[in-house]
Amino acid sequence: MRRVLVSIGAKLRDRSFRGRIMMYAASVGILLLAWEIASLSIEAIKGRAFLPNPVRAIAEMVRLGPLLFKNFWISAWRLVMAILIAFFTGYPLGLLIGHERRLDQLISPMIYILYPIPQVAFILLLFLIFGIGSPVKVTIVAIALFFQLLVSARGAAKQIEEEYVTSVLSAGASRWQVYWHVILPATLPSILTSLRVSVGLGMAFLYIAETTGSFDPRRGGLGPFIKNNMYSGTQAFAGILAMAILGLALYIVIELIERFACRWKYVPRRPS
Amino acid sequence: MIELHDIVVEYGNGARAVRAVDGVSLKVPPGGSLALIGPSGCGKTSLLYAIAGLLKPAVGEVTLEGKPLSGVGSRVALILQNAGLLPWKTVWQNANLSLLLAKEYPKKTATAALEEMGLLEVKDRYPTELSEGMKRRVGIARALATSPTVMLMDEPLASLDTLTKERIQDLFLTLWRKHRFSLILVTHDIEEAAFLGERIAVLSDRPARIKAVVDNPGMGELDYRGQEGFIATVSRLRSALEVGR
Ligand SMILES: Nc1ncnc2c1ncn2[C@@H]1O[C@H](COP(=O)(O)OP(=O)(O)OP(=O)(O)O)[C@@H](O)[C@H]1O
Ligand SMILES: [Mg+2]
Repeated sequence: MRRVLVSIGAKLRDRSFRGRIMMYAASVGILLLAWEIASLSIEAIKGRAFLPNPVRAIAEMVRLGPLLFKNFWISAWRLVMAILIAFFTGYPLGLLIGHERRLDQLISPMIYILYPIPQVAFILLLFLIFGIGSPVKVTIVAIALFFQLLVSARGAAKQIEEEYVTSVLSAGASRWQVYWHVILPATLPSILTSLRVSVGLGMAFLYIAETTGSFDPRRGGLGPFIKNNMYSGTQAFAGILAMAILGLALYIVIELIERFACRWKYVPRRPS
Repeated sequence: MIELHDIVVEYGNGARAVRAVDGVSLKVPPGGSLALIGPSGCGKTSLLYAIAGLLKPAVGEVTLEGKPLSGVGSRVALILQNAGLLPWKTVWQNANLSLLLAKEYPKKTATAALEEMGLLEVKDRYPTELSEGMKRRVGIARALATSPTVMLMDEPLASLDTLTKERIQDLFLTLWRKHRFSLILVTHDIEEAAFLGERIAVLSDRPARIKAVVDNPGMGELDYRGQEGFIATVSRLRSALEVGR
């Protein structure tokens, strides 16, 4: 614990780290400014503030606090579950078919038939069969993300330089050790990139899953919260803002995982 | 004694098979050294992988001490072109890889091997942080860590600058004399073959066959490059390579 605190302290004194925080803040500032300008322009042209300005949206977030917070956690939990399920199934399977040519020949045609279908289109069917509970929503988002991660893991596994595989084989590696020591670490950076894409996609799929079919408000989530309040602009935007915060939080988590798991990518190259 | 009996290596099968090695037989006594030299794409790597057990020869057999050799292990080490380091592992983890994966009990530690290569202070660095010469030395440390009886090298020094290359050649010679492993070195560098090969087998264009074997009894000293025997071997290798081209 002390070591963690010490390293955080060192980070805060580190100028490049402070610089990055400043850039983050500036980036958020620019975004809010652009929002404000858009809001003012729409009001000027249309004579009505269809797009609430950021200050009002944030004030609304605070006012709706507990209710918004409850729905935030429901959606966050669903999204995180869906991403985890997709990651722990799509990633290994993608590596397997990317590396084992026979398996690839068998499975890839199936993948390319199923992958382009918008899987969320089946949501009503699933609701009819299994009801509209959270597990069904999580499942449909997980299925859609599963294909994303599967396809990109397969591609990443195919790109691995033969040299690395030969290297561990010549050190006496078994088949599974090849996966553990080469295929997995070599594909991790690009899989984490796909995971970032999955956050955005997953958010959109979750919105669809949460708002399709029934509007049972007791089921909760940010989707219904936004959709039910579409005509009172400000409330809807408080919900959209909460979604943005959820997305940002997940990006930061992935960034931290990458920094830790792919340390070798961040070392300075060849000091002289 | 490591022996190759009439090795044939083919890629693919049936009518479209490509023959890369065509009936190579060789012997290397314990503690001996053999250099294999031949034109680009003639099948050198294929031959070495067959010896290492990474490829199964279509015909023929490799034996060590009279018994069939089944793949790499703590008795056979292979050093690849570009050292074959894994970028996601530190220097120490790379050097330790063979020990980690070996089924037999380790005879030496990665730390000791890195120390012998003078790499202890960079043991926690990643390969991208190292110079080319250092990377090759990490590859050597990985191979040495298992105390192999047979050391196989596939163009271990290709694309290094001349001085770095000669310094590592000196290192190979010293290690070979100290540890008494049998050395099989694949190269397309005539001077490297003459400096490190007690005997040098000259290979034909693909599919690789042995065109000539040149004895090089004077090798074994660090100052061999300046001696007449070296220059004589170099010119014999050059003419042997040119035959039939
Ligand atoms: N996996 C493979 N499938 C089909 N053909 C191959 C394969 N690997 C090598 N070959 C062919 O076999 C021949 C010998 O290749 P090999 O790599 O053994 O040659 P080399 O002498 O080591 O070449 P280099 O000097 O470029 O290192 C080449 O013509 C190559 O095209
Ligand atoms: Mg080669």
